[in-house]
Amino acid sequence: MEPQSIAFDAELLRRYDQPGPRYTSYPTAPQFHTGFGERELREVAAASNGDPIPRRLSLYVHVPFCESPCFYCGCNRIITRDKARGDAYLARLYREIALAAPLFDRDREVIQLHFGGGTPNFLSPAQLGEVVDTLRGHFRFSDAADRDISIELDPRFVDADDITALGSIGFNRASFGVQDFDPDVQRAVNRIQSVEQTRTVVDACRAGGFRSVNVDLIYGLPNQNPAGFARTLDIVADMRPDRVAVYGYAHMPHLFKPQKQLDASLLPSPDMRLALLQLAIERLTAAGCLYIGMDHFALPDDELALAQARGSLHRNFMGYTTHAESDLLGLGVSAISHIGDSFSQNPRDLPSWQAALDEGRLPVFRGMRMDADDVLRADLIQALMCSAEIPVRALERRHAVVFADYFAEALARLRPLADDGLVRIESDRIVASSRGRLLLRNIAMCFDRYLAPTAEPSAPRFSRAI
Amino acid sequence: MSDVAFPRLDTRVLADDGNELRFCSTCAFSQACLDQGMDKAALGELHVLVEHVGPFRAGDHIFREGDPFEAIAAVRAGTVKTYVVDRDGHEHVHGFHLPGEVIGLNAIDGDRYPCNAIALDTVMLCRFSFPKISVLATRLPGLQRQLFRLLSRDIGRAALLAGDWSADQRMAAFLVGISRRLAARGFSATRFQLTMPRTDIANYLRLAPETVSRVLRRLQEDGILSVERRELELLQPDRLEALAAPILRD
Repeated sequence: MEPQSIAFDAELLRRYDQPGPRYTSYPTAPQFHTGFGERELREVAAASNGDPIPRRLSLYVHVPFCESPCFYCGCNRIITRDKARGDAYLARLYREIALAAPLFDRDREVIQLHFGGGTPNFLSPAQLGEVVDTLRGHFRFSDAADRDISIELDPRFVDADDITALGSIGFNRASFGVQDFDPDVQRAVNRIQSVEQTRTVVDACRAGGFRSVNVDLIYGLPNQNPAGFARTLDIVADMRPDRVAVYGYAHMPHLFKPQKQLDASLLPSPDMRLALLQLAIERLTAAGCLYIGMDHFALPDDELALAQARGSLHRNFMGYTTHAESDLLGLGVSAISHIGDSFSQNPRDLPSWQAALDEGRLPVFRGMRMDADDVLRADLIQALMCSAEIPVRALERRHAVVFADYFAEALARLRPLADDGLVRIESDRIVASSRGRLLLRNIAMCFDRYLAPTAEPSAPRFSRAI
Repeated sequence: MSDVAFPRLDTRVLADDGNELRFCSTCAFSQACLDQGMDKAALGELHVLVEHVGPFRAGDHIFREGDPFEAIAAVRAGTVKTYVVDRDGHEHVHGFHLPGEVIGLNAIDGDRYPCNAIALDTVMLCRFSFPKISVLATRLPGLQRQLFRLLSRDIGRAALLAGDWSADQRMAAFLVGISRRLAARGFSATRFQLTMPRTDIANYLRLAPETVSRVLRRLQEDGILSVERRELELLQPDRLEALAAPILRD
């Protein structure tokens, strides 16, 4: 496939700009239920050990604290400057690690460890080092060259020395939130962050031997305009991050309370949002980035781009990844695990998570077992998100179905998208066209069993497609 | 060759109770009828002995060591593991019984089952009262021959792994054995699920669980097979057969 071939069709994008899941998982989190608890988690973990070659492990650690509230945030986080909360949190986290690690056979290697938040660098490099050491004490970390330890960093609260310290601990990938350098936008979202701060830490990653640096941008923020965003894009392109993510801001204050602090009257119009997205695509591709899928761009020599060309790209809760199927263990408040054919999630509020651990229980509060239909559709959506095509024959073979029969309804829903030129339906595959590649989630939605086409909720649970 | 990958547990398999003339496709005794051209009456007599039991769910015991022996049972769907637990509490896996294979044969000498039998997935059985099938066998030479054949196969398989074989040879023999047994019952010889957990395979082959994975990973890297979760595909069965040949002696 040609990863860079995307066509920007404003009229089409406007028409298809509707709420939809981002498919970092299928089924999506709203399908999780409280009937799945600690016992079920133990069962699925035991079953995962029974595979002839048990999958390697990915670990996710959630750090919920932030020193300062960004008004666009939709993450699970707690605003505090009280650093003592970090230690109290880690004490519980270590208890969770000690409870969860024995679920997995010792020879299952950890291939990926990721810290997300919140703001992981609310913790000091010494604290983060202690977390890594604790995990190394309970799990066998792979010696493979592609073993990653990655972290999301807020450039306002980290300096070059911290980066050096993280590098020596073993961190080798960093992701920086930038959003927009335009001062008017930064004021409106309560996140003042200079270009210099950002450049310093990106350079420090390079000097510290980090394998890749990612920069997150957001379009659709208050006060955002093409001139300012173009400047941001040029500055970012000049820093040469290996990966750039450009997320569309989803204003859903009924779901994400912090967003109520944001002045909605300053939000750009739908047309402006499209113009900003178009600008991002043009500038980033002109700077040599390839479009990977959904919101992600990467330099051609980055491992994501190489993996996509090889057909070995994957997608999980942490976004796109080069690591072939692994079982994901999420640790910390609100963290999600994906073990075998199951999903499970820790309590989203700190008190419940703490209470479970203080009672010596694995803190899982909801989840689900996938059935054969879920597994098939997840396989399909994964392929679509990672390679922009649905491999019809391979799916038939892997899941013993006749595609045209099994997906008759989905294919009927896909028909108008095909008529609009988003997809080409061939006998052996369904391919997203260059116009459809920006609307992968709309294509995926046709195959989502849980989206009843008529039952549109009044207040959307999912962000808009564009 | 069939391309139905084991275990395909659809409603058709579960509903296929057979009749006097055509036993279920996976019946352990179908060989007796086919070879001997049993007449309608004889078949009828055998068929009335059959009692369909199940489904058993994964983890359900079918019988336990020490239970009174009354019947042998042929696996109609799923996989049954037989095992014993020694005095120190360690489990020893005796074998895995696939569709068309019989459990309980080692209880014939004695009046109690000498091992445990547990369902590894959804299992359906055809149960035969042993006193009744014995009496019938005295009148039906074909049936008797089939019973002896099943007994002989049971003994032969247990001796298979007694030698001083390498981990690769053991694994190859195990996979070739499963492939042949499934093929004989109309399943795909090259694509099947390993319905038993890694620890059971390791226990049966007398290897460490890590070694099971290491050997499979190496075979996968060599392009001989591919493993995706519990699904296995034999890509170069010839090479696997060659590896297994010293054990299988063929």
